Amino acid sequence: MLKTINLQKKYTTDEVETTALANVNLHVRQGEFLAIMGPSGCGKSTLLNIIGLLDNPSGGEFYFLDQEISRHSERQRANLRKEHLGFVFQSFNLIDELTVYENVELPLIYLKVGATERKQRVEQALEQMQIAHRRNHFPQQLSGGQQQRVAIARAVVSKPKLLLADEPTGNLDSAHGQEVMQLLSSLNEQGTTIIMVTHSPSDADYAHRVVNLFDGQVISENVKELAIL
Amino acid sequence: MFKNYFLVAVRTLRRNLAYTTLNVVGLALGITCSLLLFLVIRHELSYDTFHGKADRIYRINVDKISAHGPENNAGTPFPMLALLKASLPELTPATHLFNEEGGTFMVLSLNDKEAPRKFREEKNVLFVEPEFFDLFDFPTDGVNGKQALKDLNTVLLTQTIADKYFPGENPVGRVLRMNNQVNLKVTGVIPDAPENTDLPYQMLVDYESSRKINTFANDSWNSTYSNQQIYFALSPGANLKQAEDRLNEVAAKYRPRSPGEQERYTFQPLTQVHFDERYGNFKGRTISKTTLWAMALIGMFLVLVASINFVNLATAQALRRAKEVGMRKVLGASKPQLMTQFLLETGMITLTALSLSVVLTELLLPPLSNLLELQLAFSILHDPLLLLFLVVLLVAVTFFAGFYPALVISGFQPISALKSKTATARAAGLSLRRTLVVLQFTVCQVLIICTIIVHNQMEYFRSASLGFDKEAIVNIPLPAGKAKDLMVLRPQLEAHPAIKATSFAIAPPSANIDMNTSFRYDEFSVERNFSVNMKMADEHYLKTFNIPLLAGRMYEKSDTMREFLVNETFLRQVGETNPQAAVGKDLVINGNQNQGKIVGVVKDFHLTSLRDKIQPVVMSTFTDIYLFLNVKLEQKNTKAALTHLQNVYQSAYPDDVFHYEFFDDSIARFYEGEQRQAYLFKVFSVIAILIGCLGLYGLVAFMVAQRTKEVGVRKVLGASSASIVGLFCKDFAQLVLIAFVIAGPISYYFMEQWLQDFTYRINIGYWVFLAACVLTLIIALTTVSVQALRAAFSNPVKALKTE
Ligand SMILES: Nc1ncnc2c1ncn2[C@@H]1O[C@H](COP(=O)(O)OP(=O)(O)OP(=O)(O)O)[C@@H](O)[C@H]1O
Ligand SMILES: [Mg+2]
Repeated sequence: MLKTINLQKKYTTDEVETTALANVNLHVRQGEFLAIMGPSGCGKSTLLNIIGLLDNPSGGEFYFLDQEISRHSERQRANLRKEHLGFVFQSFNLIDELTVYENVELPLIYLKVGATERKQRVEQALEQMQIAHRRNHFPQQLSGGQQQRVAIARAVVSKPKLLLADEPTGNLDSAHGQEVMQLLSSLNEQGTTIIMVTHSPSDADYAHRVVNLFDGQVISENVKELAIL
Repeated sequence: MFKNYFLVAVRTLRRNLAYTTLNVVGLALGITCSLLLFLVIRHELSYDTFHGKADRIYRINVDKISAHGPENNAGTPFPMLALLKASLPELTPATHLFNEEGGTFMVLSLNDKEAPRKFREEKNVLFVEPEFFDLFDFPTDGVNGKQALKDLNTVLLTQTIADKYFPGENPVGRVLRMNNQVNLKVTGVIPDAPENTDLPYQMLVDYESSRKINTFANDSWNSTYSNQQIYFALSPGANLKQAEDRLNEVAAKYRPRSPGEQERYTFQPLTQVHFDERYGNFKGRTISKTTLWAMALIGMFLVLVASINFVNLATAQALRRAKEVGMRKVLGASKPQLMTQFLLETGMITLTALSLSVVLTELLLPPLSNLLELQLAFSILHDPLLLLFLVVLLVAVTFFAGFYPALVISGFQPISALKSKTATARAAGLSLRRTLVVLQFTVCQVLIICTIIVHNQMEYFRSASLGFDKEAIVNIPLPAGKAKDLMVLRPQLEAHPAIKATSFAIAPPSANIDMNTSFRYDEFSVERNFSVNMKMADEHYLKTFNIPLLAGRMYEKSDTMREFLVNETFLRQVGETNPQAAVGKDLVINGNQNQGKIVGVVKDFHLTSLRDKIQPVVMSTFTDIYLFLNVKLEQKNTKAALTHLQNVYQSAYPDDVFHYEFFDDSIARFYEGEQRQAYLFKVFSVIAILIGCLGLYGLVAFMVAQRTKEVGVRKVLGASSASIVGLFCKDFAQLVLIAFVIAGPISYYFMEQWLQDFTYRINIGYWVFLAACVLTLIIALTTVSVQALRAAFSNPVKALKTE
């Protein structure tokens, strides 16, 4: 599904150069559930953003769905993004002025999905995330766990091939965190590839494979699935 | 998609109600002003455009270059029209227009039992030839004007006059006696003259009748009278320049010029009559194109200032939208999509503001029309041009106010927008915001400076010494040619203790009545190449108006021209330096008709408004031409004195209507136009400043909110409230000063230009600039402090917690 070869990312601000990623080689297959771990500042979010086509790498190659896209323009990336990718963030990032329903509907609007199909798919996503009864509420009226479920509904309503989650449980207590992890896990079982950044080992347990980053480099991989198989 | 934009827009605007209100109110104020100015400008531009031949109608003017500068006059010699008709067929139709500023009218009763009703009109009675109706397209409501005024002593009444003189009666066929001199038969009733004409009339009288009314009527090519004008249409295909040359050529035979004398008849397009203050018009009001441009500019300024508010508040607000924009981008929204969304939002605010301004305009138009004494119309639905203006305004403001914020907001990098909101928003056009605030301050300061200067010039008009007394003097118009009847009653007039002096004259020292003639001084054989202004007055004139004599003495009592006085300017023009030397010299005026000795020299006094230079003046006696009785009163007891005057007046003229005006009032009327402009300036400057303050208030509120944490930290570290307020004020004080550096020179330049129109004017003092700068500082810092104080007094612990 995606592959990176010697992926690099450098930030230059005020003449200070930070190497966020140094030669990251990563291969993710269709249907995988991957967790990325590592200490704060090691480059996890940076890697996820590049994979999520929100940012361009400064070097190396990046294949997504068999295309080399490290040099794609913002517009091309935006198009790939809205068709194939779903995002879940630590801070939910729901739009406060829109209701639960309207938030979930938004990706479909940008995808220009027709009104009837839109309604049906939004309802389905809300059901799946068990948040349908709150469809007319505004984000501020929901608990953190509920908000994150709405965010996941929004991420999956467009049926993305790849779901990217940056510390999805970071702002939640453990009970709500578990709930969210179970939802992600079941999505993965239904075929969605998931890449998740996390600090929590228990969250990482849900993944098939864990990649450890340190100072912008992959230092180890442990593949749970293989041990079971 | 649009539904989604719309929903978000409405909810966002509602949530940030304070921000929305500031924007809407600011914009609505700006738009209302520009709408009002649009209506005024359009009205001014519409003068006499409704005539079918408007684009080829001209007025004949006289342009002279004389030793004391150019002289422009719209009056033409009386015999000129006959010449035009005889030898210049390409200038047809052509008509004389004679304008009489009102008069007395007696409605003769049908039977002899009823006493005749008497009326006095103050405004335009227009004497026209039948060709008037070929030339102009005034509404006649089916009346054949040409036919109605073809006979001697006929009059067409406007509806208003007809209703006033003949309530419930049919005026047609009835007879009016004008100025107790001519009987005019009413031949029809026509609608009132439209507001937007410089040829206004309350009634139209056949031209030939004016010969009896007009005391100045003569058959000389050497004198002109400003109320006697010629309009004509240039035949299609004829060449204007050639026609003008031909007229000058043909007329040269009748009006020989002395060598060096530069006088030329020129053709002025009808469409320019309203805008050229050099020649004036019968309406008595011109407005220069520069003034109209200034108005348009102010209108644009006001919208600009309001739009700047918008840009400032919106980019500052961008912070709050960062997350939304970031997320929309993550979900695949393109930049154009986001721009559309934000422009749509701006459009909604603008539309709301626009609707509000339409209501405001509806409310404010009547008072404005009153103030400007214009009939301004505002009916959006029946007015395509106005609709177009509104649409253009909507699009322009939306684009201008919305484009930049939309560009900034849609340009956010999604990750940073989601991650560190503050940094993104800080970056979002901080320097642009400062620039815009500077621009706003600049506009405000320019307006303040201009307002102060215009105001000072007006004050100068009011207070400048005119060379004569104007306080406690009344001017009483007399029936033409009958001054003698009252003059014999002078002892009776002056019997009242409150009456200090009386003088009969053609006019008070400063008046709109102007009689010019050529002259010959001393033993010069040729007439000098400038004309003089004749002031006919009795021997009490100088005493009544307190005009000082420089040399010689006042002339003796006489009914005809016997002795002359001249003014200082006259002396300068003939090259005489010593006033004493002029006394005893011979003077011949009016061709060779009048001759006498100069017996004295008066100090210069102003003949018209301070716009015009003082002309050379010759004063003499000439009873038949006196049109006014001027009376100097005691400050107190004026009421009784006026009653006394009325009684004596009525005993002399039982058939005329007594009427008076205080001299200082009539002088104030010279500057009515400027006074109104000054008032408009003031109102609009105040509004501009108000709008600016609204924006500033919002912006500072926002900055304060953004720096809550910083303020909290500073307070914990021991900063005083005053030092916190100072923190914010310093910033804005700087911007005000930068703006001042720009505004000072700009306004100086424009005001110098404006003042150049006035021969007698103020000098621009540096204190004006200082005042404007200090005033803006005070206004800005007060606005800032109100908000900053809130931050300064906030609880630091709370402030730190929120971040
Ligand atoms: N926009 C940026 N400009 C400059 N440096 C950046 C930027 N974004 C990230 N970095 C730097 O790149 C490195 C990696 O950052 P990244 O956000 O990927 O870390 P992370 O592993 O996600 O950390 P955390 O666990 O705290 O979320 C850090 O040193 C960070 O300071
Ligand atoms: Mg991170």
